[in-house]
Amino acid sequence: MSPPATATAAARQAIEPAPLLPAGLTDRHINDSLLDHVWNPRRGWWTLFAIALGGTGLLVMGLGVTLARGIGMWGNNQPVGWGYGIINFVWWIGIGHAGTLISAILLLFQQKWRTSINRFAEAMTIFAVIQAALFPLFHTGRPWFAAFWLFPYPSNLGIWPNFKSPLIWDVFAVSTYFTVSLLFWYLGLIPDLAALRDASTSKARRIAYGVFALGWRGSARHWQHYRIGYLLLAGLSTPLVLSVHSIVSFDFAVSQLPGWHTTVFPPYFVAGAVFSGFAMVMTLMIPARKYLGFAHVVTERHLEAMNKVMLVTGMMVSYGYLMEHFIAWYSGNPYEQFVFVNRATGPYRWVYYGMIFCNVLVPQTFWWKKARTSLAWMFVASLLINVGMWTERFIIIVTSLHRDYLPSSWGMYYPTWVDWSIYVGTLSFFSLLFLLFLRFVPAVAVTEVKELRHEMEHEAAHAAGAHR
Amino acid sequence: MSAGTRWVLARYARAEAVLAAARSLREAGQASLDIHSPYPLPGSDQALGLGRSRVPLLALCGGLAGVATALGMQIWMNAIDFPINVGNRLLIPRPALVPVTFELGVLLSAFAIFFGMMGLWGFPRPHHPVFEVETFRSAAVDGLWLSAEVEAADVERVAEALRGTGALQVEIAPEVEA
Repeated sequence: MSPPATATAAARQAIEPAPLLPAGLTDRHINDSLLDHVWNPRRGWWTLFAIALGGTGLLVMGLGVTLARGIGMWGNNQPVGWGYGIINFVWWIGIGHAGTLISAILLLFQQKWRTSINRFAEAMTIFAVIQAALFPLFHTGRPWFAAFWLFPYPSNLGIWPNFKSPLIWDVFAVSTYFTVSLLFWYLGLIPDLAALRDASTSKARRIAYGVFALGWRGSARHWQHYRIGYLLLAGLSTPLVLSVHSIVSFDFAVSQLPGWHTTVFPPYFVAGAVFSGFAMVMTLMIPARKYLGFAHVVTERHLEAMNKVMLVTGMMVSYGYLMEHFIAWYSGNPYEQFVFVNRATGPYRWVYYGMIFCNVLVPQTFWWKKARTSLAWMFVASLLINVGMWTERFIIIVTSLHRDYLPSSWGMYYPTWVDWSIYVGTLSFFSLLFLLFLRFVPAVAVTEVKELRHEMEHEAAHAAGAHR
Repeated sequence: MSAGTRWVLARYARAEAVLAAARSLREAGQASLDIHSPYPLPGSDQALGLGRSRVPLLALCGGLAGVATALGMQIWMNAIDFPINVGNRLLIPRPALVPVTFELGVLLSAFAIFFGMMGLWGFPRPHHPVFEVETFRSAAVDGLWLSAEVEAADVERVAEALRGTGALQVEIAPEVEA
């Protein structure tokens, strides 16, 4: 072994102390340990399921009341026409973005650590987008007309949607995002479903997973198309995810309202979406890796890497806040300036300070390695960031609308019990879908972990050969 | 798959062994070989002599179809069939057409990739003769397999050839009613 090679290896050791996978794993062990949670449901699953089901009842009730008595059951009114409905829509869509970032963008950047968490994060994306879609749908007041208003299909009325409206762009963006995420997720699942089919011991399970595996035989002819198809879907998802929250931000930025009419919105919304999404992945992953026994594939290094992403995106969000305030001052527009003074001193100032604390200050702790590797702190921080990103959307929507131009038309916004029921209901429905996912589908991409193990083994053999 | 063919399967311990066996059988003139592995094996395409995947072409066609559909739809609906005059702005505002055009391009491209692959694979196809071999189930777990689809008369000869390539085990899929 030559001295420079030793030095390089030592330097690499210092930078990357924790390996992505522990040594000595076999494919069989990976298979057994990662599928175990499907065969042997964890204790407490039914309890969690019952709680989530009860909370989903709240959602059904809230939506039922909305349908029966009308949209007036929500707190929305003049001047705040977009209350919880749009706050929660933007919040849930944003959470979804981390899944696509992890599965697509990190794949293109060849960040190997994504392998252990991508399946989990993609499932989160799909379930979050389902929650998000509920809000604008019911915000129309008459969801049974929504298809007629939103989708361009020929009807007796003979008119079409107005494609100059950002709201119609949103329909296309969100429905495309959901569909492509689902296809991407399912494509990645097929080899794992085949592994489930072939590892199952009962005939019923073999048939059930066999149907969903579609006949996957791990053939070279399958992999030939799969590899390129998966990569292409990742390539498509990458601009797609950036477009979705940009288009969501157009709902605001294209309007004339002070506080909304800002060019910084698209990048700032995308960064905020990734920020909140990573926080949600952490909130779910920290308990789940313990609960499901995944600590050997979701290591400290994965969690630390995610904390670093939160630090970076948190700084981008902070920069967005800074720019918003600066441009408001620099524009010389008194209405624009008033909105930002009102945010910090008006009736909703406590929400504003909560936002600054959660989104600007909390992620700064991740400069310290101690914070990045403390499970307890990163869990608390991820919860705070989730809250912080929710308050950000509250601030953007409510404070901009409640005092705009004419003081005579100012007002206050308060959510009603129906708003709260629907919001808590979507949290429960999201948990319900997630619990079902953890029960029936491998939560870690087993095939990709095996491939990573194979690559690492190959590299190690290669390195040993080169140094000999 | 034509009628009267049988499947011969061989399991190997290492990736290099299965690739070498595939190469040697292919050089000996054996057709319809396939490798089955739980994860994509680098080099399997070359060992089997598979050409380039047609999926990228499908993706391109899908994307172009989406872009054309979106542009046609927006222009025809808002400027021709039922012109909507919003504050006397242009009937065909180019920047405003971008979001829907992009999204529909991505959507149809993704459809082309996903359903194109299903078509190329002939999926869904939950039944296949190789599944009749119980030990072949390891192909999705940790086993590396080489398969050959052969005429009934050639089964023994090919099985012998596979045994000669250092396979751990060789299996012949039982005949199934088509």
